[in-house]
Amino acid sequence: MNRRRVLNLSLLGALLLVALALPYIGATSFVISLTSTILIAGILASSVNFLAGQGGMVSLGHAGIAAASAYGVGWASRQGMDTGVQVLIALGVTLVVSFIYGLLSMRTTGIYFLMVTLAVGMLVYGLAFRLSSVTNGENGISGIARPEWMGTYWTFYYVVLASFVLVTAALWVMGRSPFGASLTGLRDSESRMRSLGYSVPAYKLGAFMISGLVAGFAGLLAVWHTGFVSPSSAGVDRSTHLIVMVILGGIGTLLGPLIGASVVVLVENVLSSYVDRWPTVLGLIFIFVILFARAGIAGSVGKWIARARRRADHRPPGGRGSPVSEAVSDSNHSEEMNRKDLP
Amino acid sequence: MKSTTKSTRWTAVAGLAVAAVFTLAACAPPGAEPEAAPTDTTAEGNLKVGFISPTTGNFAVAGQEMVDGWNLYWDINGNEVNGVTIETIVEDDAGNPETSLTKAHKLVEQDNVDVIVGPLIANTALAVAEYTASVGIPNLHPVAASDDLTQRNANDLTVRTGSMGGSQANYPGGQWAATEGDYKTAVTLCADYAFGWESCAGFKQGFESEGGEVVQQIWFPNTTTDFSTYVSQIQAADADLVYVATAGGAPGPNFLNAYLGLGLDMDNLLLNCCASDQGTLRTMGDQIEGLKSVSYWAEGRDSEVVTEFVDAYKEFSGGKVPGAYVAGGYITASLVASVLEESGLVTGEDLVSAITEYTFEDSIFGKVSWDDYNNTVGPVYIREVQKLDDGNLYNVPIATIEDVDQWLGKDPEDALAQPTYSQTFQG
Repeated sequence: MNRRRVLNLSLLGALLLVALALPYIGATSFVISLTSTILIAGILASSVNFLAGQGGMVSLGHAGIAAASAYGVGWASRQGMDTGVQVLIALGVTLVVSFIYGLLSMRTTGIYFLMVTLAVGMLVYGLAFRLSSVTNGENGISGIARPEWMGTYWTFYYVVLASFVLVTAALWVMGRSPFGASLTGLRDSESRMRSLGYSVPAYKLGAFMISGLVAGFAGLLAVWHTGFVSPSSAGVDRSTHLIVMVILGGIGTLLGPLIGASVVVLVENVLSSYVDRWPTVLGLIFIFVILFARAGIAGSVGKWIARARRRADHRPPGGRGSPVSEAVSDSNHSEEMNRKDLP
Repeated sequence: MKSTTKSTRWTAVAGLAVAAVFTLAACAPPGAEPEAAPTDTTAEGNLKVGFISPTTGNFAVAGQEMVDGWNLYWDINGNEVNGVTIETIVEDDAGNPETSLTKAHKLVEQDNVDVIVGPLIANTALAVAEYTASVGIPNLHPVAASDDLTQRNANDLTVRTGSMGGSQANYPGGQWAATEGDYKTAVTLCADYAFGWESCAGFKQGFESEGGEVVQQIWFPNTTTDFSTYVSQIQAADADLVYVATAGGAPGPNFLNAYLGLGLDMDNLLLNCCASDQGTLRTMGDQIEGLKSVSYWAEGRDSEVVTEFVDAYKEFSGGKVPGAYVAGGYITASLVASVLEESGLVTGEDLVSAITEYTFEDSIFGKVSWDDYNNTVGPVYIREVQKLDDGNLYNVPIATIEDVDQWLGKDPEDALAQPTYSQTFQG
């Protein structure tokens, strides 16, 4: 166990080092800005992952929260307000929108939660589309400048990278806190938590506010990255993409959202230059993961390594965590998913 | 208990490491950061074109047509003009602004293109135009119809080459209806988003400037499939003329089916470009012969260049008559070719000024020139669906309004000072 943690941590360190060195080792500005796109998508997917992995609440409306925050920045910049005020407005809009999402969804579970978040997401989309005096309608708001000190593509990249590390670390800590444990309890059995005296809706609302805050932050970074926001960033297909990212990477894993985001963003932006039918490729990858790697890329790789090591160790069969018991015992599976230190 | 302290220790170590790494990063700014090398690297006699279009997703048909139109011109005429070879790289954006922007970055920073053509959808076009202007690359728009592209968001490097603004193309339609058409009142039915608002605003202002009166404006969501309730509302409005604007695709035929299905009179209809494009004509067939519409593109116009283009596209597509999207791609290519013929290899702002100072006398749209905001000034046609000798349905012009600009009879300053068009503001 300890050896594994060391391995994981050194892997994380190596990844971070590569990410830090990227602008120095001859990556073009396009590669850097694509990496920023991936990291921002990773942050947004992390917010979905936190709710889904920790609390078992799969949201189909998170693109709406990010877009609301982006529109906050866009609107403020159109009014000529300075950066500080823009950020404050983005924060305010994010909190209000997340609160509405949370309030409407806190008494629901499973498919109903999915439907409520989908509906609120569509509401945000509809507002962005129709409320053209504020949002400029379908044309969107363009020419939103990011603060001058992060003007160049590589300083902005470092800001995004730092944000990603901080958000990931914060969500990890949150997951390990008593609050996170209560959320996991909610995920596994709501009625048990209720009978233990927990206020289920309050915990759900709290989780949603945290997740929403992260999503709003991602929206802020996204609008600083592209300088542009339009209704399509609130669309349901964007929210679905986030779910795809989380499932591809592995629900409840630490770096799953980043891995999923890399796959989706790279297929969408790089593979599409070479393959006409790239949406088919994305679909096939998704189907493959669902069929053969249910725990997602990060989750399954961890599992396969563990399995290979067990086989190498010639452990007697039937022990805890052997393939047999793993296939049978569901709780074991969920514990595996729960182990946050998987890369 | 022991494992808890251990994990706390690890957290602390990890935290320290992250902090240290960031301090380092903050201290050391990257030494060599190659700013996107602009167009100097282009070889003499080679114009590299990045073409962004949604060739997958919801807008794939229109996006592919736009690319086809562009390629068709070079297929017919060869991709070498005046010693300049045209090289095109096509990128798919799926109609998504973020992807569009990433593709534009890729084309400019990695492929070092000299000019970007496209994309198609209004929001993608506005996003890309903003970026290309910031890096000094010209951006030509074959189809995008958003007014703001050449108004509030206009810049020196963005040119609308193959279409007109939404309000611009419909303003003369309103004027024609009130004068020659002799309609006194009208009811409008437009798609409920920017393009529909602009189209309706153009028609309404044109109609009312000539003494007509718009008695009611009805809006439909883009996803509408059953138009019967809207047709009832139109009946109830009891106006002389019904003006309908869609953004192309299924709503056109769906509306016509509902309208004709209730036995209403087609003579009272005036459609916009896209409600009566070739897709609608092919779907509806002979029953809509005589249907009138207003557009900058008329495939049935009797002109040598149009015939040449239509014949070539029919051969290319297996008998289909080209609609406005193909025409937009084609005219953009022929414009680039004409400019290169006249001025040799020009890039950057020189390419833009060569285009905007050019008067395209015999384009497939007719005589087209460009205004100070890089928007097309050209003819708008009142068209009627007719069956021509080859058995296909064509939009044939029955009236032509020359030199239509985008200001709807206003001063540019006044026009720019008004809010953008919406349901509530129609000018």
